[in-house]
Order: sequence, then structure tokens, then C-alpha cells
Amino acid sequence: MSDYTIIGKRMPRVDSRAKVMGKAKFTADLKLPGMLVGKIKRSPYAHARILNIDTSKALALPGVKAIVTGKDTEGVKWGVFAYTRDQQFIQTEKARYIGDEVAGVAAVDEETALKALDLINVTYEELPAVFDPMAAMASQTELIHEEFPNNINIHVNIDTGHVDENFEKSYYIREDTFVAPEESYFQAEPYAVLARFDHDDCLEVWCPNGGPHMKSKPLSNSFKIPLHKVKIRKIAIGGAFGGRSEICPADYICALLAKKTNCPVKIVFTREENTIATRQGHAMITTHKTGVDKEGRVLARETTCYMDGGAYSSTGPIATSVPFLSMEQAYRMGSVRYNGYRVYTNKPIRGMIRVHGRGFACGLDTQLDMIAEHLGIDPVEMRLRNSRQPGEYTSTKSYVDSCAMDETIHKAVEASGWKEKWGKLPPFHGIGIGTNSVQTGFPMGIRGGSQSFIKFNEDGEATVMSGVVDNGQGNDNMLVQIAAEELGLLPEDIHLVSADTETTSSDPGSYSQVSTFVGGHAVKIAAANCREKLFEVASKILKVDPGNLAAKNRMIFVKDNPEKCVPIKKVVRVSLLNFNSVNAEGGYWPKVDMKREWVSNPYGQMCEAFSFGTTIVEVKVDPDTGQVEVLQATAAQDVGYALNPLVLEGQFEGSVAMGGQGGMLTEYHEWKDGRCLNPTMLDYKLPLACDMPKIKNIIVESLDPKGPYGAKEAGMSIAMSAAQGYSAAVSNAIGVHMDSFPLTPDKILAAIKKKKSKAD
Amino acid sequence: MRLPRFDYLGPDTLDEALDLLATHREEAKILAGGTDLLVRMKKGLLTPKFLISLKALNELSYIKKENDCIKIGARTSIADIIASDLIQKQARALSQACEKIGAVTIQHYRGTIGGNILQNNRCHHYNQSDFHRSGRQACHKDGGKICYARDASDRCNSTCQSDGATALMALGAKIVLASKGHERTVDLANFYTTDGIMPFAIESYELLKEIIVPAEGGSSAYQRLAYRSAIDYPIVCAGVLLKLSASQKNIIDDARIVVGAMSRSPLFLAREASSLKGKKLTDTEAFKKAADASMNSAAAFAVHNVGATLEYRCVMVSEMVFRALKSAAQDAKA
Ligand SMILES: Cc1cc2nc3c(=O)[nH]c(=O)nc-3n(C[C@H](O)[C@H](O)[C@H](O)COP(=O)(O)OP(=O)(O)OC[C@H]3O[C@@H](n4cnc5c(N)ncnc54)[C@H](O)[C@@H]3O)c2cc1C
Ligand code: SF4
Repeated sequence: MSDYTIIGKRMPRVDSRAKVMGKAKFTADLKLPGMLVGKIKRSPYAHARILNIDTSKALALPGVKAIVTGKDTEGVKWGVFAYTRDQQFIQTEKARYIGDEVAGVAAVDEETALKALDLINVTYEELPAVFDPMAAMASQTELIHEEFPNNINIHVNIDTGHVDENFEKSYYIREDTFVAPEESYFQAEPYAVLARFDHDDCLEVWCPNGGPHMKSKPLSNSFKIPLHKVKIRKIAIGGAFGGRSEICPADYICALLAKKTNCPVKIVFTREENTIATRQGHAMITTHKTGVDKEGRVLARETTCYMDGGAYSSTGPIATSVPFLSMEQAYRMGSVRYNGYRVYTNKPIRGMIRVHGRGFACGLDTQLDMIAEHLGIDPVEMRLRNSRQPGEYTSTKSYVDSCAMDETIHKAVEASGWKEKWGKLPPFHGIGIGTNSVQTGFPMGIRGGSQSFIKFNEDGEATVMSGVVDNGQGNDNMLVQIAAEELGLLPEDIHLVSADTETTSSDPGSYSQVSTFVGGHAVKIAAANCREKLFEVASKILKVDPGNLAAKNRMIFVKDNPEKCVPIKKVVRVSLLNFNSVNAEGGYWPKVDMKREWVSNPYGQMCEAFSFGTTIVEVKVDPDTGQVEVLQATAAQDVGYALNPLVLEGQFEGSVAMGGQGGMLTEYHEWKDGRCLNPTMLDYKLPLACDMPKIKNIIVESLDPKGPYGAKEAGMSIAMSAAQGYSAAVSNAIGVHMDSFPLTPDKILAAIKKKKSKAD
Repeated sequence: MRLPRFDYLGPDTLDEALDLLATHREEAKILAGGTDLLVRMKKGLLTPKFLISLKALNELSYIKKENDCIKIGARTSIADIIASDLIQKQARALSQACEKIGAVTIQHYRGTIGGNILQNNRCHHYNQSDFHRSGRQACHKDGGKICYARDASDRCNSTCQSDGATALMALGAKIVLASKGHERTVDLANFYTTDGIMPFAIESYELLKEIIVPAEGGSSAYQRLAYRSAIDYPIVCAGVLLKLSASQKNIIDDARIVVGAMSRSPLFLAREASSLKGKKLTDTEAFKKAADASMNSAAAFAVHNVGATLEYRCVMVSEMVFRALKSAAQDAKA
């Protein structure tokens, strides 16, 4: 379709070169004059009362510049919502998990800082701890947070009505329970933060983040300084995956140490800290009771999910809802009742994760396969009978505009050879399908929109300002591509100023999948406004109506007579000579239902667009070892419109690695009394490049009417559907529907044996 | 994580190195490639005062054939072993084992065969940071009195995950230990203690100089299991050697079975292997029986301390031994 010049093209990312050449600077690389090394003292107990903290010996150590404890924090607490403020940045009364912050140190070097940590003497009284949500709810021992009976942190209840009567009408009903443990992000870059107060008492911070404005507000609140005095700076980021969206206690501790010492302070996490003391994905125990008609259409569903939330709320209300929401977007259901419980335990804190609330881990797709098998329906047909269609409303009353779910299914089926393979593969060879949906955004109140500013320089190049952050997915490139397209410039003519709270306006951040839809949109509008101004001036030079002008390759020309043209640089200079600088502004606010709230009112328009994805996976299982060889993954996603297919394919491939190969086959944590036994990359089995299967990427475009150029969320639907596809393929290969994730060789082998002994 | 402070000593000759060892003894550690040692030091598991580097001792890096033996210098890199035709042909199990060690970067630049044999035992309760090991009692290997991997154990049950040692023991290798003015040769199978705190019967002033691998004919094979295709220690591994009868080419005259990653040392299972004497190369039933017997013997030693479930690892012993035997038999036929 496109007569775009830059949009839709396979363009290498603007940030790739610096990254592959090792030139990009990450937070840990930064050095400022007089900079001190910060370290955090953490609780080695899962649940313990803090009786006393003696810092005298540590303070006496030469080279130690400051120590902060809970006493220095004035009791400030963090929580994403007013009703979830349960986490102190430095604990004063209790430690609630192994890794909880109890003190911070700033010293002249790392060795001294580490020595000082050892010299801080904390007296604890150990308390009984709980590590499992079911045990936590039943526990009679001291609550993890006094105000939360039964350790239940969040309860989300969604009920569309008619559930019981629709179960009555159902032809077939089944109930199954699925179990999935927590998982970690393993961002390539361990967390790091550098903070300093400048001569104007402004707090300047560098850290990997999911949105700089999401960091500045809590810091401004905590330090009781105006927002404009908190300057989160742009820095290269080595991955976020949802785990860096919130403020981290280390941000606050680092800033507090900087304030106390009047020096810049940098804290760099160890890999272990990055694993246990940032965020993790929730562990889940989910029961689905599903009733279908004779054709397999879902009439009624009741879902109960218990989520292990760890020690604090984090994004609890959101995380407790998204596993359900992803499934309700992907599939129609006549009626549904959902009860999600997020339960406190004495384990690390769980928050958002790219595989969206781990919707796949609830096993809903597996159960669809079970029902399909019972009714003798092909899994593909089963999905087509239940798949979301454009123009419908979700169960919680969100209107779905663009939707090419069926097309993703059909194309993946075609490309994977499903029809020739389903039911016809040799023993222990299997194929499976997963489908899923992800929302493009959710209501975020006053922070839901983004605004961009553009100014032209006298050399005809443009500076674009946007609050959007790039933490690895290619957002910087996206912004540059959009601006270049709209302004008629080349990508190298665009100077991007982004992700800096001093110079850019508020932006929702890179989570909730809105960077392109909202932030990119804002740049598109700003650039279009700026182009209008150029056309005003050019129309006088070329003596044609501005409506007849177009811009491309640094030139403004007459649409039906391209020879008649003028360089943009000249237009800018003419404008300046006429006492006018060329600049513009543009913003985008998605029209969502602001009354929708995660717990109190989970109904209404969630976001303006939804994406849909299908992944079909083919595997071979070794029946003697239970090890899985993945032969091929075919990933198809409705992305609205592909702004840059090259970047998009990278997202698809990363998604298959994270959701499927790692998330479904090898990655899981081992624990001993709340201690994580495999916090490192050697022991937590992330897949390596050589473990990855062949991946076929299929981009499906539905041109969302609200999205910029028709684009919407892209990539995440694959992470989830890949997980489901992997699980379905293994189940198909061994003839057993697996209900406990991930599918490690020991579980697969046990399932094969159990089936065999039943058959004998 | 930070490396604790130490003094770096760089001897130019083996004699100098042995002198330094004799002087510093317990306070010193030998630094070969450092891919095991430095990782443990960073975790605070040991803090030697001196590191004696083998960097300049090229005299310890060689692979040569002498009489019926292959002699390998202890500082020979894993990459050199993989590249050696001699080892590939006459000590196949070792070649197969080395290919699986870590990843190309470990094999190529740093890791040595001596360091591979002498890498310390591992346990997921022990190979952890100082922070991880705080706030709970120290275990035996950490200077305490309990074991987290086995209740009421009076000793440490840490696991030897050396691929190289398992293959070498299957091949019947001997090792030469040198100290100032002295040298002794021991059978690798007799080189281990019964406590994982210090798994090797080596003195602090001794240096591993050479590995002697008999190459009197026979077919060997090595199999191992891990979750990933690289950068992953074995959770179970097995090395076997089959020697054929001089008169009848398809009859097994002698066999060796060694199971690794299941105990404090590779397990030399002589009784299980002896059941194969006189059996045909095609007798997969006999292989299966020997493999199952190996599993039963190995299971008694294993504890859950290196990833995967214990039950799974035990079952996989049988599978790895069986596969190794089949592969060695296949090789013998060809
Ligand atoms: C990520 C990673 C993955 C790994 N995967 C594997 C694997 O899959 N399989 C496997 O077997 N190993 C693995 N290893 C362990 C290790 O890398 C190898 O065993 C390697 O061969 C060790 O050799 P080195 O020279 O680096 O030993 P070093 O670390 O230098 O030494 C190890 C120990 O032996 C002692 N030592 C070394 N040489 C001598 C000598 N000549 N005389 C006396 N003492 C000596 C040292 O003092 C030290 O205590 C892995 C390591 C890492 C970091
Ligand atoms: S086996 Fe027991 S004693 Fe040995 S390292 Fe592990 S926990 Fe410690």
C-alpha cells in the first residue's frame, strides 16, 4: 500500500552501531568527578523483625562517606497506587524477603563499601516465613503486612453475569488446574543507578528505566522537591521487560546517599541482586472451569487464580488482572467470572513482565486443546470458533476495532504445514498452536498521553523531543523514522532528544505497549504540524497552494509537478529571514475509559487497540530423556502496520526465545527456604543462540484506524502465544496435556512413563 | 563481584613453581586458566594469599604419544585436546568430553585439562555469594557442621562435575603429581577422598604435571546431559571403554564404566562393567543390564545439589551409560 519513503522500510536501527561496537554508554559505564560507590545492605532472612541497626563500626572505617538507614527516609513508602503503598525504600521494622533493603553505604571505592556492609550490625528477630501462596493464606503466624488478613494483597473480581445459567446450558464442562512458578527477566544489563544533586539542588539520575517520568514523580514525592528538580537522564538501556517500570529502592537510596555526601553516588547491582531484588514474574496456580456447546464454543467460564506476589504490592492490581484480560481479548466467552488473588509471601517482589502477567501460564489454551480433543475438533478449528472478531466487545466491555486474529491463525497454519502434520507426525513428534492477545495501553490517568516538540535548525535538520524511552525494543529508531517520514527528511537529519525528564513532556513509558501508539503518535502529529509551517513558507516561494505540496528527501515539491521544488534547508532559512523559527508541538491522548479501575471497576474501554498473535511450534521429544528439540516455530502477529519489519522480526525472535524456548522449556528458579539457588546466568537456563529453533516470522497487518499509520502493539503477543505453542506441541508429541510449567525434561519423562504404565 | 586481593607469582620454570609451592603451601593456589578458581574466589569461597600462575610454563603444554600411552601436559588447553587427532582416534571419550566443556571461549582461551580435573566440586547451596551464604548456618564445605543437600550427613556431598575427569577415569588414566624433588604417579580412580570438603588426595605443595592415558586399543565413548547446548555443566555423564578379545573381534574382553556428576568423584563401577566380559558387541540387552546396575549403584551416592531433580538424574544414569556403551560398541565394530 505504502507510498511512504521511510516508514515500513527495513531500516537498521539508529542505535545498533553504537551498541554492537561497544560505544554505547550504559549506567555502569558512567563516571563523574568525585563519584562514590554505593552498596546496599540486604536482609539475609526471609521474615524478621529489625531490632537494632548499629552503624558505628562501619562509619568509623576510613573511606566510608555515609550510611543511610530507615531512619533517614522519614518513613516514605512506595506503591504504584495510593492503595498499594506498602514498601519502604529502607525497612525500619521488618524485613520481608531475603534481599529486602536495610541500609545503604557510600564509600570511596567498592572494596571499602563492601567492607562497610559487613561492619553494619543488624540485630534481627527471625519470624516464621511463608513461601507459597496457599500456605500464606492459611498461615496462622504473623502476617507479612499487618493490614492484609490472610496475606491476601489484592482481590480482583470480574463477573459478567449469567455464568451459572450458561454452565447449565453447556454440552460439556471441564475443570482443570495449572501451575506455573515465578520467572526472572535476566536483562542483559544488571540494574544500576547513578545520582547526584547539582548546584541548584536538582536531583539528576541515570538508570535503566521503563519510563523516565515514572521514576521522576515518586522521587519528587519522596524528596519533597518539585518535579522540575528531578532530572532523569537518557542512557543506553540493556533491557527492561517490565521489570524496570517502577521506582527501585536503589534509586532512592542512591539519591539519599548523594544528598548526604554531596557527591555523585553510583550503585551497580550484582547479577544476584538483579535477580532477587528487582522484580520477578508471578508464580500462579489457576483453575479454569469451562463450559462449551457441542461445537466447542465457550459459553461459560469460571477462573480462579492464586498469584504469589512476594513481599510487596508492586504493580499488583495490574498483574492480577492481565492474565485474565489477555485471554478475554483473545477469545470470546459467553459469560465469565474471574477471581484473582494476589497473595503476599516472603519471596522476592513480583511485578510486570513482558509475557504480560504471564497470561499463558494460566493454562487456558491447554484446556481449550483438552476440550477440543474431547469433542474431536482440530485445535485450529477450536480457536477459529472462539477467536476474537473485529467490531466486538470484550467481556469487560472494551470495543475491539482492528482485529486480524483469524488471519494470523490461517497464515501460521499455512506456513507451518499444519494440515499435513496434525495427527500425521511420527511418535514423539508433535505440533501445537497457541494464540493470544495483548492490549495496546491501559488507562493511566493524567500520565496516559505523550507530547512531542520539534524544532528546525538553520541547516535544515530537525531536533525531535519526546518522553518515550528505548530500553532495547527500538523505540528511538521508531521515533526517528516517523519524524523523518513526516518532515520529508532522512533519518540522519533527525536529532532525537528523548527519555529525559528535564527536556521532554510526560509520557506513559514503554510499558503497557504504548510507545508507538501514543508516543510515536505524538511525534507524528508534531511533525505534521511542523511540516504545515514549512509548507506555508514554501508555498510562497513556489507560488502554489500549501495543499498541493509534499515533502521527501529533504525537498518540498509540488505534488503533480515534482520538478518544481525547493530544499527544506532553504525553506527554513527563508522562514528565519522572515522573523519566524520553524517549530511545532503535537500530542496524543488515547480515548480510554478513565473510570475503569483494576479492582473497583474493571469494566469499560481499556485501550484503543489490541494486537493478536499465533505461534505454531513443531517439536521432537526424546522419549528416553524427555529432552525437547524444537524443529520450527512459526510466529504470526497482527501488528496493525509494520513500521520497520526488520526491528519487528527481532521482536518476534526475542519473544520466541523468552516466552517459548526459555520460558516454557528450561527457565525456572530453585529455592531453599526463600533463598534463590540459581540467581546467575550459569544456573538459570536462559536459552543460547545455538539453542534456538528456526523461526518463521509472519507479519499480519490490519491497519488500526487509531494507530499511527495503523500500527499497534507488536511483539508481545508472540511471547505469550509462543509459550502456549511450545506447551501444546510437547503435549501433542507425548500424548499428555501438560498442566505444570515449564516443561522440563524430568516432567516430560515422568508424563511419558505414567502414560505408558497406564496403557500397559 | 570483586576478586579478593592476592599476590600474583609468575614462575618461569616448573622448578621455580615447585619451589614457590613448597614455600607457600596452603597459602597458595595454582592458577592455570582460572575459569574455576577465579569464579570461586569472586564468590568469597576461598581467599588464597598467593596465586602461582602457570602462564609461562609452556613446558606443561603438550600432547604426545610414548609407547602405549598418550601423555598430556597438565596445562594443555581444552581446545588443543579437542583439536588433537591422536586423542580423537585413540582416546575418543576424552575428545567427546572436552567438546562439551563450557563453551568455546572457555575451551579456547583459558581452560586447561589439569584445571578441569582439579576444578572443585560444586553444590547449589555452596557455590553462592557471601550474601547468599549469610543468615544461615555454614555447611561442612563452608567450615560448618551441617549439609543442606543431605539431612544429618557427617560430610560434604558436593558433586564433581568435571567432564574431563569422568572420561579420563573411563580410559584408565593415571596422573603425575610433582613436588619439590619428588614425583609420584597415581591412578586417577584412586585420587579422590571420601569427603567433598577436599575431594582430591593431593598435598598443598603438589602440582599436577601430566596425565597419562593408556592407548592400547579399545573403544571409548562419552555421553552427558545438560539443559542447554553450551555453558552448562553436566547433570549426569558417563564414560565407557570396551576392550575386545584378541581372538574374537566381536567379543568384549574387558570393560570400564565411569559415571560422573553424581557424586563427590566420578564413580568407577568395576562390578557393573565386569558383567560385560565375554558378551557380544551386539548384545544390547547386556548393555541395558549393566546400565541399570550402574544407575542403582550411582543413585546411592547422589544428592540434589546441581540442578534437575534427583530422581531424573538417577534415571538418566542408566540412559547415559547405555548410550555410551552402544556408541563405543558401534565404534569398535567400525
Ligand atoms: C561458565 C562455565 C562453564 C563451565 N562448564 C564446564 C563444563 O561443562 N564441564 C567441565 O568439566 N567444566 C566446566 N567449567 C569449569 C572449568 O572452566 C573447566 O573445568 C576448566 O577446564 C578448568 O580449567 P582452568 O585451567 O581454567 O582451571 P583453574 O580455574 O585455573 O584451576 C582449577 C583448580 O585446579 C587447580 N589447578 C589447576 N591446574 C593445576 C595444576 N597443574 N596442578 C595443581 N593444581 C592445579 C587450581 O588451583 C584450581 O583449584 C565451566 C566453567 C565456567 C566458568
Ligand atoms: S553437599 Fe552439603 S556440605 Fe557439601 S557443599 Fe553442599 S550443602 Fe555444603
